[in-house]
Amino acid sequence: MDGKVTIGRTAGLYIGAAVLRLAIFTLLPGIPDLLTGRVEISTPVTSFKRLQEGLFLYNHNVSPYDGGVYHQAPLFLPLFSLLPNASSYPIFTYLLYIAVDLLSAGALWKIADSGETVASALFTSPRKEKRWNGFIIAAVFLFNPFTVATCIGRSTSVFTTCAILHAIAKAVSGAPFSAMVAITFAGYLSLYPLLLLPPLVLLCYDRQRIERGIKSVIPFVATNIAVVAGIMGLLFGMSYLITGSWEFLTSTYGVQLTLSDLTPNVGLWWYFFIEMFDSFRSFFLGVFWLHLSCYVGGLTVRIRQQPLVVLTLLLGIFGIFKPYPSISDTSLFLALVPLYRHVFPLMRYTFVIAAVIMYATFLGPAFYYLWIYAGSGNANFFYAITLVWNLGQSLLVCDLMFAVLRDEWEVERPEMAGKEIRQI
Amino acid sequence: MPSLQTFNTTRARSYVFRLPLFTRIVLLAITIFWLVGLQSAFDLRQWGALIPKEMGLGTLYRMNTFPFIHLNVWHAVMNVVTIVPLLERFEGEYGTLNCLGLFFGPLTTIPAVLYVVVERIMGLNTAVMGASMWVFTLIGIEAMRAYRHNPTFVLAGYGIPTWSTPIGILFVVAALVPGSSFLGHAAGLAVGYAAGRGLLKYLAPPEKIARWIEGKLNLLGRLPHYVSIDQKTYGRFGVLPSSHAGPGAGGGVPLGPIGTSALALRRDPRMLKLPPYISLLCILVGAVWLFLLPLNEYSRRTYISENALLPGQVHTYFGGSDQNVFRAYKHETNSLIGKTNTEINDKLEDIVRGLGLKTARQNFTYKAAGRVFEGENLYAILQAPRSDATEAIVLVAAWENVKGEINRSGVPLTLTLARYFKRWSLWSKDIIVLFSPDSIAGPQAWVDAYHDAHDTRRVASLGIKSGALQGAIAIDYAQEQRFQSIHVVYDGVNGQLPNLDLINSVVNIAGGQMGMGVAIQEMWTHDDRYPDRLRTMLRGMLKQGVGLASGAHSGFIPYHVDAVTLRPFGEGWQDEMAMGRVVEGTFRSLNNLLEHLHQSFFFYLLMQKERFVSIGTYLPSAMLVAANFTIMAIFLWMKSGQPVSGKETCSETQQPAVERELFLPIGVVILCQTISAIPLYLFNHVPESTLTPLFIAFLIFNTILPLLISSLLPTSSTTQQQYSLIKSFSLLLLGMFLSSLATLNFSLSMLIGLLSAPLSFVRPFPSNIPARISTFILLNLISPAAVLLGSAAYWQTSITKILSEAAVAWHVCGTWSAVVVWCVWWPAWLAGCVVVLGRPVEEEEQKEKKA
Repeated sequence: MDGKVTIGRTAGLYIGAAVLRLAIFTLLPGIPDLLTGRVEISTPVTSFKRLQEGLFLYNHNVSPYDGGVYHQAPLFLPLFSLLPNASSYPIFTYLLYIAVDLLSAGALWKIADSGETVASALFTSPRKEKRWNGFIIAAVFLFNPFTVATCIGRSTSVFTTCAILHAIAKAVSGAPFSAMVAITFAGYLSLYPLLLLPPLVLLCYDRQRIERGIKSVIPFVATNIAVVAGIMGLLFGMSYLITGSWEFLTSTYGVQLTLSDLTPNVGLWWYFFIEMFDSFRSFFLGVFWLHLSCYVGGLTVRIRQQPLVVLTLLLGIFGIFKPYPSISDTSLFLALVPLYRHVFPLMRYTFVIAAVIMYATFLGPAFYYLWIYAGSGNANFFYAITLVWNLGQSLLVCDLMFAVLRDEWEVERPEMAGKEIRQI
Repeated sequence: MPSLQTFNTTRARSYVFRLPLFTRIVLLAITIFWLVGLQSAFDLRQWGALIPKEMGLGTLYRMNTFPFIHLNVWHAVMNVVTIVPLLERFEGEYGTLNCLGLFFGPLTTIPAVLYVVVERIMGLNTAVMGASMWVFTLIGIEAMRAYRHNPTFVLAGYGIPTWSTPIGILFVVAALVPGSSFLGHAAGLAVGYAAGRGLLKYLAPPEKIARWIEGKLNLLGRLPHYVSIDQKTYGRFGVLPSSHAGPGAGGGVPLGPIGTSALALRRDPRMLKLPPYISLLCILVGAVWLFLLPLNEYSRRTYISENALLPGQVHTYFGGSDQNVFRAYKHETNSLIGKTNTEINDKLEDIVRGLGLKTARQNFTYKAAGRVFEGENLYAILQAPRSDATEAIVLVAAWENVKGEINRSGVPLTLTLARYFKRWSLWSKDIIVLFSPDSIAGPQAWVDAYHDAHDTRRVASLGIKSGALQGAIAIDYAQEQRFQSIHVVYDGVNGQLPNLDLINSVVNIAGGQMGMGVAIQEMWTHDDRYPDRLRTMLRGMLKQGVGLASGAHSGFIPYHVDAVTLRPFGEGWQDEMAMGRVVEGTFRSLNNLLEHLHQSFFFYLLMQKERFVSIGTYLPSAMLVAANFTIMAIFLWMKSGQPVSGKETCSETQQPAVERELFLPIGVVILCQTISAIPLYLFNHVPESTLTPLFIAFLIFNTILPLLISSLLPTSSTTQQQYSLIKSFSLLLLGMFLSSLATLNFSLSMLIGLLSAPLSFVRPFPSNIPARISTFILLNLISPAAVLLGSAAYWQTSITKILSEAAVAWHVCGTWSAVVVWCVWWPAWLAGCVVVLGRPVEEEEQKEKKA
């Protein structure tokens, strides 16, 4: 790979990605609606159809949360009501989604070019020569079928993806304030990104410490948290002004916290909570959320030297264990994984992971079809395949973690490089 | 200590049998005290526990009894499980005599005194008992020992001393185990730490004396399992042979026995030769499995699963004067032959209106293969007198059947039945009578529109509707004379099948109640022996695999509406009234349904009207065939990671996996998958007249394309590894598609799997040119295009007809067999051809070039 990336190639990549999406939108008019209805892409908290419903209510001066269909952030409503009607002039919506994808790719490009993955403030990988440039990383993201499908399905999770990627990009470029603003937006849109705050603050801190010589971590953390709280307050205030009540808190974050909508998705929660007796519900909600958030502390401490690794692994874990995951979360994780090209040779199960994820990708819709349409299967078919899907993802998370730790370990013990070891 | 990975029963047994003496004594004492504690006359626990307030000179015995007494059996079991490995280790190192001295002396009394003193100071009086104090003492000693070897472990850059782990255990136990004594455990641990620091040697009985006792009494000779003090000199780990590889060997982290053997197995060169044979075995077993299915041992008799159906349990009254009505209607319909669709519908609508049914019409226009299928459906709804319109059953009579014969008796029979049904008051479901101009497009348009899944540009919406469709029966009765048997056609679009209960009901009513013959899969005679069963099954599989609509019922099945077509055949003495009674009986059964047909099977292969195999029995054969591709894909991936010059390297040296060059293989496979859209689009969108020239052009293109792709690959740098990877990825995709497909359309998956089985075994022939050419020719003989040509020749139809049928099915019914052929099978075949034609360079050659 030559390192040179000309403006022509950059433009070519972006134009190519935009044209591909636009072509699917316009030439295959059935596809967007088909994908919008797929449970793998649209969850109750990201569905474009539900957004339309909320928008309709909002434009008719009814509270968008009436009827219990719309569970997304209130600020989407003024944004989408600025656009012409999505059913009569869909092109504007398409352009918005394409632009968001390109923005995400731009942020990813910046992260890749910063070289944070191979040489963070506290750790420099011995394999740092071997990495992909921003062009390849952005291309892998933009032409990943999962990303394309999410964009075509117009899931609102693309906005969260974009915000998270920008938060990381700002953090690695040493702009903690912008990073905090971006992560707050992500957290405002879908709550779970707030869990990324600890590693993100550490990433900002590491970057700042070199450049500005900040000594103490406590005031730095406190300032950043104050920024997040302030921006969040601002966003909540604006939401309150738009909807006129605090109802949106329970309808958006409340739904995520209590899983009141049990529409099937690729995650692990819905089936459990369908089966569960009501008396155990709140206990297990607590357990599931605790489980989701307990990774944050452990990983942040264990891989303190490379906060971006923590962010990547956490995004992978959230894609598996969050209440309403979709392939959009997987696409975000898969967007960050190529940044670790230098540790790919240390990964052990790449083929198995690829095979498992691909098998699940094809069997999932087939089993969903058998369950919902053909009627010859049942919910267990689809749930079994989501288990396989999540197994594939968790294998990838584990394997990446193993590779990164092994990379660190070989710095500590250079004599062990290349030898076979076993985790115990 | 046995770790989980090395656990096996023989080892565990031998471990138990090798337990040393003092450990056994402790175990025995704990057991005896537990048994004694079972009785209620004497309160053992009150007698023996360590109770601070009770301690005095006379009760000092408590200091030695409390570790053996437990609260209950669980307490005892838990403590035994934890203490045995620790104590065994300790005894092995210090000798039985020392153990005895220590554990009946300082190691028990000191923590006990410590505990009592602290309790007294704090003014508490908590009784403690159990061996867990010893456990903590021993853990403390172990931890100090570990600390000496390995002072810290690093967590996030902070060195944490290893001796601190027992404290963690202490807190976890205190938090998780109810009723555990934190203070007692802490006292034990403190003594353990002190002992581990080296104080143990002051506590232990003087070595000289111990040796003297041991020697005088010849304890080693007299007592079984006695551990001598002498062993302590070396410690048993230094002297005794052990199964573990020493940690020093190679300076690496030791691997457990399982780990090493698995790795050794993986590196064994024989392992790499095995998968192709496994793969071949999978194909053979899969194929043989299929041929076993018709045997009595593997197939089952059909049975009615849904008890509500009660087939053949009602009297059928159709007949008598209805015969005259039928003749009149037949006269009317005969006069319509040759008229236009609209004229026919006008007349029929007139008749049906006259019966008092609501009618409506629906227009549809389909364009496929340059032909236009248009027409007008006429349908009427007989409203159920006994219910609201929530459910309905459909009676379909197409004006023409699939062969283009006019449904001369079917249409008048349907009219007669409609008139007859109208007179009954027992219907709990609406009955919809549908007259469509043809057998494929008309019913499809109607059922699409009924479920609002139609394209409004081509198919009009329905004017009136009823409830959810519960079943449909199509009558295909072109024959004018009396018939002998009924042919049940049940294949749906894309190989979907109606619920087996529906077929069983029809077989039961026609064969059992009415006493007429029933045939399936055009097996006009069937002797219910192996060859006929096999033939029926294979015909069924072929039809299922092709996935075309086989009658007016086919369009209903994708909407989960169970449907069959009934076609009388043969010369016999059954008349139209008998046929009508079969329909009446079936409708009465469907009318009984309380819920949608769901009890019986949706996936089955019928091999006789009353014999079937269910999915559980037949699916493994298709899955085995699909698995063969996956096995080969994984094998090739593993092989591609092995260094090429593998002969000299022995398995001892560890070889890191070779870096794989992935871009070219992935590119080739993606290219093959992408260009597969071209034949799919072309064959579905060109007019019928150009299909034959297009097919010939495609045949030529098909032969040249692999040559073209393989000549485009850079011959100077494409290695054997890259060809292996091309094949690996292509087979992985094929295996994946086929196993997904097997759940949807078993027969198609099986068919494609068997036809592309040779692709598992192709490989490049770098130097052997004749082999390369002959393999390529052989591969060309099983190319999708060649197979199409061959099947056209076998069934004596033209290739144009096959292709235009496929295009019509694609556009009208949404059959996706074409997708499977062109986008699954063809790319895999293409990649296989590229591999065969490949001329990989040798590794050394490449290295030389680079140098």
